[in-house]
Amino acid sequence: MTAALAFSDSLLGPAPAPDSLARLVNIGKTYGTGEHAVAALSNATLDIRRGEVTLIEGPSGSGKTTLISILGLLLTPTSGEVWIEGKNVTGLGERALPGLRARNFGFVFQGFNLFPALTALENVTMAIQMKDPRAKDAKGEARRLLDLVGLGPRIHHLPADLSGGQKQRVAIARALGGNPPILVGDEPTAALDTKTALSVMELLRELASTSGRAVVVVTHDPRLERFADRVVRVEDGFIQSITSARSNV
Amino acid sequence: MWTLARKLLLHDRLRFAVAIAGVSVSVMLVLVQVGLYFGFMDTASAVIDASRADIWVGKKSNDSFEFATPLDERSYYKVASVPGVERAERVLINFAQFKLANGGDLGAQIVGVDNQPGYKPMLAPWNVIAGDARRLTEPGAIAVDRSEYPKLGIDRVGHVTEVSGVRAEVVALTSGIRSFTTSPIVFTDIRTARSFMPQLGTESVTYVLVKVAPGQRVADVQARINALPHLAAYTRSEMSSRTRSYWSSRTGVGAGFFTTAVLGIIVGFVVVGQILYSGTLQYIREYGTLKAMGARNSAVVKVILSQAMISAALGFAVGAPLAMGMRAAMKGANLTVALSPELYAVTFVITAVMCAFAALLSIVKVLRLDPASVFKS
Ligand SMILES: Nc1ncnc2c1ncn2[C@@H]1O[C@H](COP(=O)(O)OP(=O)(O)O)[C@@H](O)[C@H]1O
Ligand SMILES: [Mg+2]
Repeated sequence: MTAALAFSDSLLGPAPAPDSLARLVNIGKTYGTGEHAVAALSNATLDIRRGEVTLIEGPSGSGKTTLISILGLLLTPTSGEVWIEGKNVTGLGERALPGLRARNFGFVFQGFNLFPALTALENVTMAIQMKDPRAKDAKGEARRLLDLVGLGPRIHHLPADLSGGQKQRVAIARALGGNPPILVGDEPTAALDTKTALSVMELLRELASTSGRAVVVVTHDPRLERFADRVVRVEDGFIQSITSARSNV
Repeated sequence: MWTLARKLLLHDRLRFAVAIAGVSVSVMLVLVQVGLYFGFMDTASAVIDASRADIWVGKKSNDSFEFATPLDERSYYKVASVPGVERAERVLINFAQFKLANGGDLGAQIVGVDNQPGYKPMLAPWNVIAGDARRLTEPGAIAVDRSEYPKLGIDRVGHVTEVSGVRAEVVALTSGIRSFTTSPIVFTDIRTARSFMPQLGTESVTYVLVKVAPGQRVADVQARINALPHLAAYTRSEMSSRTRSYWSSRTGVGAGFFTTAVLGIIVGFVVVGQILYSGTLQYIREYGTLKAMGARNSAVVKVILSQAMISAALGFAVGAPLAMGMRAAMKGANLTVALSPELYAVTFVITAVMCAFAALLSIVKVLRLDPASVFKS
């Protein structure tokens, strides 16, 4: 990464740009209270845009997971605003959040989190049905998504019979179920060897470029930067820099 | 939901087998214990239930069917002349010494019935498998049950013995007529019965059985008989349930069987609860992932409840045949396990409720599960 163009998203107002899918405004998060309080995140502002791959980097404990958890509507911020679908969703409770998450986010994890008892096809099908109980032809969609991530011939395999890279592809297919515009991953390549990690990241890059999805990935691996449009550096709970990175691919 | 539940449950075969074993043992215990209880109760009221009387009349002070104070012939005539009574018959029930082949004596419950010429008696031995119950009118003729062979040593018609020192000849063998008190039931004519119990005199009667005239309401006739001094009239089903509850509360037999049945339920509850909970813990990340993806709590709870219901259904499917096997095995020991469709139905519901409650801990666990936990390593 060279010639980083650093700027702060906080210069923008709360009103989202036209291609904005989600927006965090002045987010703060403090865990616990009193003398046990930990300020995990302060004053974080970030815009998530269609077609962009955003990498989030920073030392352990800097607040990366907290940041994407708040973005993914899994965690309520202590202060600031979360905008999704053009609406401020900050104060919404557990009645509204599952639906918003299902419509807007797909998640991928370091540990894949696939049901070991279910085949690739069943894992994806079940997720589609869970997100939307009225989904039509969930199985057909699951097949299509597994094809898309290159797992076509192995849809009837159990996770135990798949390699790490293949498992992560199944998890990505699952995240794509219901066609959410934003994919969020917390170190999704950390458990994979370099070659596999790069090919998984390449897949995520492709998904962003071809379908206009936003991909937000936490990583420790600077080699992934070449797939990114932006790199967000987090340190001590502050967004230190947001660097445009695509220019050097 | 069902597919996921079934696959999660079946994935660990050993754990699944333990869950099904737990439920089926619990189902079997409930069926066998409650079935034994009803079997005993059926035995307690068998003679009453087998009668064709509309009303049983006895002395007001009676509380037990077997140990009843005798009436006399006048009571019988009074009852017979109550308006609305079509016909009345006498029954004499008491204990007498039955002489065994080895020279010993055994207390037997003598049931003397009223064989009136031209009428089939309202109470008579049933399930006759050998001989002829109509010969009971002959002096000294008795009918005994084949299942009492180990006690009485009688397995054929024509066997001659003594009851209270009076000559008695077996003219009929029955099958499956047993008493709650475990004393063999010996059917005979009321005249022979009186000769077996000289101490009661020649006019004693324990019960008067009543057939109500056509067009008359049983309750009306019952009320008229109850208006007579010292007499209490019960419909056949009232008499039956009085006897059942007498023996049930008197012996505490109900408490014993139900305690074991409840223990069975507790065992099933604990086993299924443990299995479901360990499965829930094993898949907690995946459940968290479902919640993070936007699955509603209700959907995740359904996955767990479905596993509980599958365990209940399969446990019942295994436990019910086990109970039937136990019933067959216990028949050899002269124990009746009364398994009715109603008992199966109630047991199935109890099993489902038990499994649902066993799932509660798991349900609370996934309800409390913070979807943000998926990103915690
Ligand atoms: N549930 C929690 N309770 C208390 N402190 C937490 C909790 N989650 C995270 N933290 C703290 O918040 C800070 C940021 O954590 P996190 O967002 O997980 O960092 P990262 O993902 O960059 O390693 C750390 O100091 C961590 O210990
Ligand atoms: Mg982290």
